[in-house]
Amino acid sequence: MSDQETNILVVGGGISGLTTAVEAAEAGYSVAIVEKEPFLGGRVGRMNKYFPKLCPPTCGLEINYRRIKFSDRITFYTHAEVGNIAGSPGNYDVTVNLKPRYVNDKCTGCNACTEACPVEVPNDYNAGLDKRKAAYVPHQQVFPHKYVIDKAACKDDCGVKCKEACKYDAIDVDMQPESISIKAGSIVIATGWKPYDASKMDNLGFGTSKNIITNVMMERIASGTGPTGGKIVRPSDGKEAKRVAFVQCAGSRDENHLAYCSAVCCLASLKQATYVREQYPDSKVSIFYIDIRTPGTSYEKFLNKVQEDENVSLIKGKVAKVYEDSATGDVIVEAEDVLANKKIKVPFDLCVLATGMQPTVSEMKLPSDIKINENGFIVPDKDQKGIYAVGCVKDPVDVAKSVQGATGAALKAIQTVGRKS
Amino acid sequence: MAEQVIKPDLDFVKGIIAGGGDTLKKCYQCATCTVVCNVTPAENPFPRKEMLWAQWGLKEKFEGNPDVWLCHQCNDCSVYCPRGAKPGEVLGAIRKQTIKQYSAPSALVDVVNNKSLIALIFLVPAVIVGLFISMFGNWSPEGDIIFSQFMPILPIQGLFTPALLFGVAVGALGVKKFWGDMKSANGVSTGDLKGSIIATAKQVLGHEKFKSCDVSKDRYSSHLFVFYSFVLLGIATGLGVLYIDILHLDSPFRFGYGTPVKIFGIAGAVAIIIGTLMMINNRFKNAEKVGLGSYFDWLLIAIIGIVGLSGTLAYLTRIAGVGGIAYPVYFIHLVFVLSLFVYLPFSKLAHMFYRGAAMCFMKYSGREEEEEAVQAAPQETAPAPEADAGPDESAPEQTEGGKES
Amino acid sequence: MEKKIGVYICKGCSIADAVEIEKLEEVATKEKKAPVCKSHDALCSPEGLDLIKNDISGEGVNTIVIAACSPRVKYREFSFPGNIVERANIREFVAWTQEPKTEDTQALGEDYIRLGISKAQSAELPEPFMLEELDKSVLVVGGGIAGITSALGVADAGYNVHLVEKQEELGGWAKKIHKQLPQTYPFESLETPTVGSAIEKVNSHDNIKVYTSSEIEKIAGVPGMYDVSIKTNGSSEQVKAGAVIMAAGWRPYDANKLGHLGYGKNPNIITNVQMEEIASNGKITRPSDGKEAKRVAFIQCAGSRDKDHLPYCSSLCCLTSLKQAAYVRESNPDAMAYILYKDMRTPGQYELFYKKMQDDPGVMLTKGEVVEVRDGSAGTVEIVMKDTLLGESIVLEADMVVLATGMVPNTKIEADVLAEWKGKFDEALTASGGKPDPNAVLEPYKVPNILNLDYKQGPELPGIDEAYGFADSNYICFQYETQRTGIYTAGSVRQPMHMAGSIEDAMGAGLKAIQCIEATAAGNAVHPRAWDQTYPEVNLTKCTSCKRCTEECPFSAIEEDEKGTPFHKMSRCRRCGTCLGSCPERVINFKDFSIHMISSMFKALDIPDEGLRIIGLVCENDSYPALDAAALNRARINPAFRFIPVRCLGNLNLAWIADALSRGVDGMILLGCKFGENYQCHFVKGSELAEERLGKLQETLGRLMLEPERVELKQLSIQDYDKLPQILNDFADKLDEFEPNPFKEF
Repeated sequence: MSDQETNILVVGGGISGLTTAVEAAEAGYSVAIVEKEPFLGGRVGRMNKYFPKLCPPTCGLEINYRRIKFSDRITFYTHAEVGNIAGSPGNYDVTVNLKPRYVNDKCTGCNACTEACPVEVPNDYNAGLDKRKAAYVPHQQVFPHKYVIDKAACKDDCGVKCKEACKYDAIDVDMQPESISIKAGSIVIATGWKPYDASKMDNLGFGTSKNIITNVMMERIASGTGPTGGKIVRPSDGKEAKRVAFVQCAGSRDENHLAYCSAVCCLASLKQATYVREQYPDSKVSIFYIDIRTPGTSYEKFLNKVQEDENVSLIKGKVAKVYEDSATGDVIVEAEDVLANKKIKVPFDLCVLATGMQPTVSEMKLPSDIKINENGFIVPDKDQKGIYAVGCVKDPVDVAKSVQGATGAALKAIQTVGRKS
Repeated sequence: MAEQVIKPDLDFVKGIIAGGGDTLKKCYQCATCTVVCNVTPAENPFPRKEMLWAQWGLKEKFEGNPDVWLCHQCNDCSVYCPRGAKPGEVLGAIRKQTIKQYSAPSALVDVVNNKSLIALIFLVPAVIVGLFISMFGNWSPEGDIIFSQFMPILPIQGLFTPALLFGVAVGALGVKKFWGDMKSANGVSTGDLKGSIIATAKQVLGHEKFKSCDVSKDRYSSHLFVFYSFVLLGIATGLGVLYIDILHLDSPFRFGYGTPVKIFGIAGAVAIIIGTLMMINNRFKNAEKVGLGSYFDWLLIAIIGIVGLSGTLAYLTRIAGVGGIAYPVYFIHLVFVLSLFVYLPFSKLAHMFYRGAAMCFMKYSGREEEEEAVQAAPQETAPAPEADAGPDESAPEQTEGGKES
Repeated sequence: MEKKIGVYICKGCSIADAVEIEKLEEVATKEKKAPVCKSHDALCSPEGLDLIKNDISGEGVNTIVIAACSPRVKYREFSFPGNIVERANIREFVAWTQEPKTEDTQALGEDYIRLGISKAQSAELPEPFMLEELDKSVLVVGGGIAGITSALGVADAGYNVHLVEKQEELGGWAKKIHKQLPQTYPFESLETPTVGSAIEKVNSHDNIKVYTSSEIEKIAGVPGMYDVSIKTNGSSEQVKAGAVIMAAGWRPYDANKLGHLGYGKNPNIITNVQMEEIASNGKITRPSDGKEAKRVAFIQCAGSRDKDHLPYCSSLCCLTSLKQAAYVRESNPDAMAYILYKDMRTPGQYELFYKKMQDDPGVMLTKGEVVEVRDGSAGTVEIVMKDTLLGESIVLEADMVVLATGMVPNTKIEADVLAEWKGKFDEALTASGGKPDPNAVLEPYKVPNILNLDYKQGPELPGIDEAYGFADSNYICFQYETQRTGIYTAGSVRQPMHMAGSIEDAMGAGLKAIQCIEATAAGNAVHPRAWDQTYPEVNLTKCTSCKRCTEECPFSAIEEDEKGTPFHKMSRCRRCGTCLGSCPERVINFKDFSIHMISSMFKALDIPDEGLRIIGLVCENDSYPALDAAALNRARINPAFRFIPVRCLGNLNLAWIADALSRGVDGMILLGCKFGENYQCHFVKGSELAEERLGKLQETLGRLMLEPERVELKQLSIQDYDKLPQILNDFADKLDEFEPNPFKEF
């Protein structure tokens, strides 16, 4: 006996999963989304702006959230993970494990619990660059706007101050993990990606200096909702970061790390270069690259626009040494300027490692006929029916391609389910 | 700027691939190697550009090219290479090609480094030594073990001195040709030769360049051992000649271990064995990233190893008085020492000539001084706001051209 | 429907600490005469909700005003199907952004009650618009890999397809190639083209009807009911369709324009398209003398990434040349392929293919700029390059040169065609005596080409001229959002892409087509207002046929009858309400959103003689959430502002401004999306049109003897909530410098 029956089960609530869900739902099919974080939005929800339009991801997310709110065909489970998947195309039995949120539906989002909470822990939403409470919402445009308690961070002796503070009896510290079973005709896997661990590249100095950061951290630093309120500064001393280096292929296109090209890092760095240039007219940016990859129309246009800025230098040559000059806190970047045919050592305030995307097939037990290649990507099988992978769990792709693939996955999914009307 | 005609030579590429540079084509010019390399100069650094030249089969680019010889094959580059292109090994293979180009007769390079001919290249010296013994010595001397009865001093000198001279002569001629090519290729006419040689000698004795390697430091120490074992054994041999030809003492010299000849001899023996063992160990240690190395490399390690081992063993068995073992082992020793001398300019050992020459040329051409200046880190050349008006040197248009270089 | 209004005020979330709830109740009951008004400590709690449900069932309340939190939260709790529900946002806009228990705060709270009630009074329940007749089949234009994929995708989902292809046979470029790129991991070996089997599937599919050697003569009608005439060599056939997928594909850039790369000067300089032909014929030979080409040079970006030719990157030329290098090597182990590139672009896992090909001893690559391509000796070609990795200036000899030419979308209209069109048009113009407006018609997309839509605003998709002729979406998050409802583009006509990409994209377009049909069938709008069942209703008796609505509609959803009277082609409409804003006669309205509704809300406001009163009309998708977010951060907002959400600033009707100012309101701020290049408005020009209309406002305000600066439009992104308080205060300060609105007394 299943707790819910749905046409399509979408695993992952990032841009790919959300898109598959709303598109399928608006075509007349019922959809359930399972997201492991307490909130929807995934990685794009952490971005400051999208390339090449430099528009905020929250704009599109707001529209998708609205489509979800108004749709009676979409249910979603946050803070939940898929356990076992059994059955066959057209009728799968999926167990979904719901992690306790410790906050029930009575939550009004009044923020009292956060104010009362005595505990502060590193804020993973801001890539650990600042702190948050144990009772929290990561930012003000999250969906669902419902608080969550990070039990792992709680101090037993805090006296459950959040519960006392809540006027609406919304806090339930004894909430237990639950396991529900969902019947689904088709399953779409959109579990997305995680940034590659930069500390694995010992020559790029991540971890040895606070001023060597990743592109994901840069998005947060540049974001108005981020730890510095959008001010681009050196983490070490808060000094304005006016000399910024971008190190391309930090892990990508590298057998020792990620053998493939992550496809977005060139554009991400060009975009982040505009963050710096916009904020400090007297700033200088250097982008060290192997190949600048901006395929297509709008991306190439964006590259040209950034190149017009004489304070942005594109230097062909992969950076192979980065370290801090302890005296100044500057980060020294070593590379070969290939076209000038000489080795250079240059000091910067901030060095941004353009780390790549690593696919995350979450904890779920995938059916054995789902192939995963040695780079961790799901290998789509043309004849495979019923279960479809989409987005960065299948290929490193940008938002535009994720959306195309996700919409296409919705079609495959409804094919499996069959025509409704 | 004059147009330079590019003539890709697929056979040259295949040659390098066959000669231990099988990873050559993996390089995609990211330049990680030049950055992690601590022995390369900052202007026109290697090995990135050499990798591309080799990929395109531009063999003329390697005529009179000192850079491939400046590489000490420490393989820091191979460890960090994102494509597994192993520039260190590839340059080794390229060096082999240039040895072939400069050590005449070049055919010998192929013979010596041809796996399938391994038996032959040791058989020939064995036969020669055998002949000498048959003619001047005694295959099974009676009584105390005295090697000079097995193979008398005179014929030894008669055989080994010319052998060594041959090796050195070929090497010297190769260096002469190489030096000339380097001068013309780099447009250098004159310089301070004497000073350069002295400076180089200092550098070599101190292994200063090799020392600067990062990841593969132990390659430096193992090489140091072997290098000094050669020096020590050279001195010991010299002393031997002194005792025999000038002081007219009979070998074996039965005097205490405190005396110079013994000290140098034994120290050298110990050093050569430790050194070779370390080399072998290193090879296996970073085989995963760097590979085990080519036949070209192993041949030399083998010869040196066996020379050291057989020498020591012969000495010990002689003391122990086990003639049944001492003489055969001594025979092997002689064979391999002879191979060492004769193949000197054709085996990997030729690097002592050409690397020496290349390092010397660095100073002769004054390129090394320029280095000091450039290396003075870090440049404010690139994008510092305080860098005054005008497009700074790292602005794309400047970089793209790289005119000044 | 006889309305019975119930007003429900929440005291929770510190609302009760900020305002006197009793006074709010008085406003509802005494002033606005609401028959039912109740308050509760936590209206969203089960008990609070029961309070309302009981009144619905017991008291017959059917029009509900919830004075509590933002409508963006607790949307499930406060939904009462079959009843009109309005939300007065007194939590975010009052309790969380104002000084508690001040006169201003109280006044603000009371005004939001007034706004809520008067809005509820003029709102009506939506009745979905239903097409009498509806056809659920999909028209696919273009039989290349994208079109074929869309057709199969849609057909396999159980819908009928009309697949129209210009050529004699299906397959497009995918059929013309010798081998295709690896389509899956490990991305190492070339594949024999798979399009053949797809074509067989199409031909044998019961749901697909194929029209080869055919073109679209005309597409008339609306999503759900298109009348399509298909011209097949001379004779034309009429079919019906519910949605359209345009997969018109691409053509190679005209190599004759690449004289600087020697094309046409030497027969051994060919394009990558010709290379495919040569390869399919077996040995790689050079055209001049049929001799085997052992040294083949590939010049990348031949025309692409070149401001004089194609300013964009054609995306797949790098992969194509690597593939063709494999042809050269397979044909002869001693042959060499030189690839001369600007940047090697093999994104994603195709990097593995690059790696594989590069490892081949006979494939040599260098970055560099080609300066000249000239004849060498004995039919060979010499390539002069600068700034290469091999040297600053090099010459390379090759037996054959392959120019990696780029993609031009078939939607791109060449200059000569345009000129011809202009000629034709001028004739027509003189004939028709100066109508219609030539400048409008000369916009490239108005030249008949592929779709030949029978739409007032032109036969093709708008916006392509901004995208180099590609029919791409303006929206990163919504790749299928075109300016023509029910028409979706797929494959290389939207963006240069490789086969794998086209296949993914084509499936997406297929879903959108089905989705549009089903939404239309259910009487719903399509994205971005997919839930919306209201639609613009026109009181034609007052219409003066000024045609502003037909021109300003972003989706060409309004046509004109022979008398020039406008009428909506309803299922083309996205319900944005731009027409509502454009109409000077105020005759276009929605059931739940009308000119009268907003005006009456203004009238409902309490305008004291003292103190600023400012109306903020805010875009409900971006600016309204920004205001909410500011409130969640407990930002202090100037209490003079009363915010009213609109569907889009394109709704702005100048009548509103007159109404507001004549009511004594001191000023009006309009918060909407960024416009111009990279505009963010999902109704294309909403905020831009509002700005234009404000331009025309001068004389109106002059008549009222008011400063034009009293009305201002601000472009605001959803993330700018940290800047909002400042923006609002600055505007308020500016108004403070003016005399109070003289109309206050009246």
